[in-house]
Amino acid sequence: MDPVTFSIIRHRLFRVVEEAVITLKHVSGSAITNEGHDLMVSLYRADGSLLMGGVGFLHHLTSASEACKSIIRRFEGDIEEGDIFLLNDPYTAALHTSDVYLVAPIHHDRKLIAWSACFVHVFDIGAMNPGGFAPDATDIFSEGFSSPGTKLVSRGRLRQDVWDTLLNMVRGPEMVALDLRSMIACNNVARERMLSLVDKYGPQTVDEAFRLLIEQSEQRLRQRLRELPDGRWQSRQYLEVKGEVFRVVLTMTKSDDSLTFDFTGSSPQSRFSVNCSKWASLGGLFAPLFPLLCYDIVWNEGVIRPITMVAPEGSIVNCIRPAPVSVATVGAIQSVNNAACSTIGKMLMASEKYAEEATAVWHANHFAIFMFGNNQHGRLAIGILTETFAGAGGARTFADGVDLGGEIPNPISRMANVETIEAAFPIRYLFRRRLQDSGGPGFYRGGAGGELAIVPHDAPDGGMHYVVSGKGTKFPQSEGLAGGFPGGVNDYVWVKTPTTGANADPFAQSLPDMAGEKMPVSWGVFPLMGQDALYVRWNGGGGIGDPLERDPEAVAHDVLDRVVSPAAAAQVYGVVLSSDGIDRDGTQQRRAALRRGRFARGTA
Amino acid sequence: MARISMMLLRLDGRVCCASCKAPIAAATDSWKARAALSETPVAGLPGAGLGVDRDVVVRQFSCPSCGALLDSETALPGDPFLEDMVSG
Repeated sequence: MDPVTFSIIRHRLFRVVEEAVITLKHVSGSAITNEGHDLMVSLYRADGSLLMGGVGFLHHLTSASEACKSIIRRFEGDIEEGDIFLLNDPYTAALHTSDVYLVAPIHHDRKLIAWSACFVHVFDIGAMNPGGFAPDATDIFSEGFSSPGTKLVSRGRLRQDVWDTLLNMVRGPEMVALDLRSMIACNNVARERMLSLVDKYGPQTVDEAFRLLIEQSEQRLRQRLRELPDGRWQSRQYLEVKGEVFRVVLTMTKSDDSLTFDFTGSSPQSRFSVNCSKWASLGGLFAPLFPLLCYDIVWNEGVIRPITMVAPEGSIVNCIRPAPVSVATVGAIQSVNNAACSTIGKMLMASEKYAEEATAVWHANHFAIFMFGNNQHGRLAIGILTETFAGAGGARTFADGVDLGGEIPNPISRMANVETIEAAFPIRYLFRRRLQDSGGPGFYRGGAGGELAIVPHDAPDGGMHYVVSGKGTKFPQSEGLAGGFPGGVNDYVWVKTPTTGANADPFAQSLPDMAGEKMPVSWGVFPLMGQDALYVRWNGGGGIGDPLERDPEAVAHDVLDRVVSPAAAAQVYGVVLSSDGIDRDGTQQRRAALRRGRFARGTA
Repeated sequence: MARISMMLLRLDGRVCCASCKAPIAAATDSWKARAALSETPVAGLPGAGLGVDRDVVVRQFSCPSCGALLDSETALPGDPFLEDMVSG
């Protein structure tokens, strides 16, 4: 094919996805979509294979491919021009019920030529807890409606009976309707732009470009893998729910031009909803693989071909229906992400050529806190604290991680302004800022996470409630590399209404300043009523290299910047500070003493 | 000489410290078993958080010759070392 035409078609595909994302955001009315960018848009070939992965949460690229393939199988002979299908069953293809896929066939001259797909985390899905994350669920039947495939739009006409049925099963149906309409609009724009492309270049040329694009991605990834050393790398993640500890264990083996991710040794599936299905695990390992290994390769089926996954059936990474999975995206899937990020980082670090692409684990623990209740405008409000998308960057081999730097699996994630949240919910922020000592220490420090506190404000019912599905309080999960320490952990603290009769400080600026009983919480539904407050801190990224080798000036700067405490400077980095600045002799002695301490236990 | 990580090299069939070049173990063996091991409880680190598990530690594997920190991993007691091996 003429390389210029090929290149034009390739770039047009990027623009199709980009414009569809813009459409999705313009029509959507929820902060989780507009601000947090908990979304994804992508394009698929006629057989459902991934053609062009878009931005947003990358776990979904392979799952939506399976969604297309599943729709093709289920609706064989009944897929028509203008149709749009809904699918959100995690045991068919989706990650959890509240991430709803809308997939749409694209026909040209009555022939199926491609698919578009998108998802958003809908306002509600009818699970036992508002917002979709259902920590109290014991099976998938308590996690809202789940469809293995439903035709929502038929030949361009909305199926009102299906629409009404769906909206009859959820809280806030007007908001869910807006979510669904945003996805319909997104798919419509993707279809129109794709057809415009086909009209210009012809279906044969465009399809040939699709085929070449996939072939090119496969060749380029295989070539990259051949340039990397063969080997085997391991990672382990701990998750805890109500005292039970689960492990996600990964051995990644690279041989010639292929990679195998083997999760043998991971815990059996849990009675809690942190499990994930095999499609979710597959998406979970690809989420870091796309940006770390394929930063200059189009994310499509060609990238998938060299990769094999082994996920034992009945384990936490390949659970059996009807195990609950609503917390999967911040549970086992995120642990799969983290483990894959860690092993890929180690492999890259073993290469002179690609060492600069290595990274410690970023933001390993989402805190899925969904607030719900009547707001100051008299409407039901359900929504996530979008600070979970603020994340924290892992350290690189050439620089510190970026404070509040987002996360690997979603290159466009971000948090909403405080004012956006305060406008939608009857709450007021006491503070929101970077969290001291949250970035994993190292020669290069992990990026800092954050902390916040909120109180009820102007609430017609005296406050509201929140659902917290919070792993990450017991075990650090943002692993470091080459000696770097992991990032800090999360905390969720219910500061209960003072019983002393004294009023809480309405302007408290730290957790210790806040009056009342401080009760750590992590799993379930809790009140934010009266003079209650909710304090949340979230993890930093992992560090890289030896903290005792970090430039003392950089440590002193971090202390001045309040990202590192004086205690951590002395205890972890071995930097002694005085009122005059760095005590050079004291630092040298302190570091020598800490280094000697490493021999105290002898060899392993 | 081949690179294993920022802190480790493979030299003459052995895993060596990248700082002092001292051999630690045969390339086919677990180098971590030959490294100096120290453990830091996560709960004892500055800014550890309120709910941290009391048993979880950061294992630090250091060069037995020069004390350079070679690798670290988060672990509960009894869990095996994470074994990374570069072929060649």
